[in-house]
Amino acid sequence: MNTIACYKVVPDAQDIGVNADGTLNFDKARMILGEYDLMAIEAAVSLAEATDGKAMLLTVGDESLQDSKLIKAALSRGAAELYSVIDPALASADAFQTASVLAAALDKIDCDLVICGEGSADLYAQQVGTLLGALAGLPVVNSVGKLEEQDGTLIVERVLEHEIEVLEASLPAVVSVTTDINLPRIPQMRDILAAGKKPHTIWSLADLGDLPASPVETVSTKAPESVERKHIVFESDAQENIDELVSQIRALG
Amino acid sequence: MDFKKTEEQELLLESLRTAYERGHFEDYFKQCDENHEFPDKAVEVLVEAGFPSLGIPEEYGGTEVDIMTQVMVAEEAHSLGWPSLCWINFSTEVVDILAFGNEAQQKAILECALQGKKPFTLGFTEPQAGSDSAAMATTATKRDGKVYINGTKTFNTSADRAPYMLCMARSGINESPYKDFSMYLFPMDRAGITISKLNKIGNNMCGTYEVYLEDVECEESDLVGVECQGFYQLMKNFEVERLTMCAANVGMARCAYDEALKYAAQREQFGKAIGSFQLIQEKLVDMKIKIENMQNMLYKYAWMKDNGESISVESSLLKRYSGQAAFEVIDDALQIMGGIGYTHDCRIARLWRDQRVYRIMAGTEEIMVHTAGRALVKEAQRA
Repeated sequence: MNTIACYKVVPDAQDIGVNADGTLNFDKARMILGEYDLMAIEAAVSLAEATDGKAMLLTVGDESLQDSKLIKAALSRGAAELYSVIDPALASADAFQTASVLAAALDKIDCDLVICGEGSADLYAQQVGTLLGALAGLPVVNSVGKLEEQDGTLIVERVLEHEIEVLEASLPAVVSVTTDINLPRIPQMRDILAAGKKPHTIWSLADLGDLPASPVETVSTKAPESVERKHIVFESDAQENIDELVSQIRALG
Repeated sequence: MDFKKTEEQELLLESLRTAYERGHFEDYFKQCDENHEFPDKAVEVLVEAGFPSLGIPEEYGGTEVDIMTQVMVAEEAHSLGWPSLCWINFSTEVVDILAFGNEAQQKAILECALQGKKPFTLGFTEPQAGSDSAAMATTATKRDGKVYINGTKTFNTSADRAPYMLCMARSGINESPYKDFSMYLFPMDRAGITISKLNKIGNNMCGTYEVYLEDVECEESDLVGVECQGFYQLMKNFEVERLTMCAANVGMARCAYDEALKYAAQREQFGKAIGSFQLIQEKLVDMKIKIENMQNMLYKYAWMKDNGESISVESSLLKRYSGQAAFEVIDDALQIMGGIGYTHDCRIARLWRDQRVYRIMAGTEEIMVHTAGRALVKEAQRA
């Protein structure tokens, strides 16, 4: 079966600074593949390998997607080709806009299963996979910890609090996978060298239709303020300690 | 002049770092060092990630990359803390055997190398023939269609693990020793071979042995290349071998420096970080200068070699400089760590013990003066 993994290029969280006013500083942050998307890519590649199919990649974003090192980094992980939707307007696309563009792109690609990561490594809204399934009118399952294909049907497992849920879904379908689903392969030199020669199709927004308006207004994105800890320790669960704890919490509002 | 790594090199080094991080090797290496054991489990991780194949021709199952890339990978691994003399890439050995060996020899060596396994211990140094290699006395004597090897080799790294010995022996045909050495490749489990472990001060993870060869029966087909051409065959690729060895020097120095720098930035004495004292800063700055120098030499000579230039003088300069500079960097790093640096809990102590031998093995730093100095003066006399 043919699979396609969606990934997002994000600033490396290690290098994001915080300005005095709490806003984020991306000046020193290099762009990397979203770390949770690596599991989506691995899942797409290993399922395609197991079923003699083809694994593909899809990403949407701004000009940073043109970076040839990032393209090689993505394609060195086993997929056969890459589709990118590139437009400056996509730099700040929210989950709904991203899912809409992905859905429009998927209309042009022949595939049986779309795999997303658990969430993007920057905003981590965990919305895109589910929205994409709804917009594309396909069955959608999130938090998938295991994937396999049996006689043209998709069997997925989700780890719930007390049990493992096993679901069947008809294909084509959309899933979001957890970070536990696999350990992404480490690209070898021959994969890295081959990556630069794989096909890469680039679309603009105009190729796919308009970008819908965002239903969400982002007021600000700030780092949480750090608060001095109170350093009050209660040694036991005696009733007076519990009462004191509650009143302390109440006093802090 | 372009100092930037290629995207492929950067991605390969990222793969190496990922493999290394996933392995959580540090405690394991400490344990192997303590127990004098080869770090097999760590080797498996890098084999799985494909690193032994680098530099081996594609038609033999490898991945062709330039010498620069191989050197960078070796340097990076050692900078992360990979133990010295335990490196898993044997492309130099493979290239040697592909150039001179017969088909069976090529197959045997490739099989080991692609699994990250040291194919052979080099039978070169003898108790009476260290820097004076012409004094090698091991003999290869032909009798009844067989060849019998007799002699004693010493400082044989991994003679306990390597399945073969690549042995230099006198054929007794020419008077000049250099025109009389022949190269034989034979399995280490042949009758007549015994080994005895040397008790070294470092490099505990890689055993070093004395090897006694007593009437070791070889076939004529165990000869590698041309009879009496062994010495010249061995010299063909020594420049690359030297670069790889010096890459380990740079890597080990970086490893020690990184740790000492971090410590200097955090360790407080007299109410402030010791890194704010100028005596510590002087050490850090000089260490950094030496690392930059070593790296610049290493990359430049790798570049020269990749571009078909001879680096016979340059590789001697680098071997001498990087052996000493790396030792100085590691020694200063140990000093910055204070008492902790002198304990086995501190990785720098291992580097300090392990790197010391790089000033001795595979050509002492004094012999490097001899080889480079002689060539430089000769060049001036010719001009």
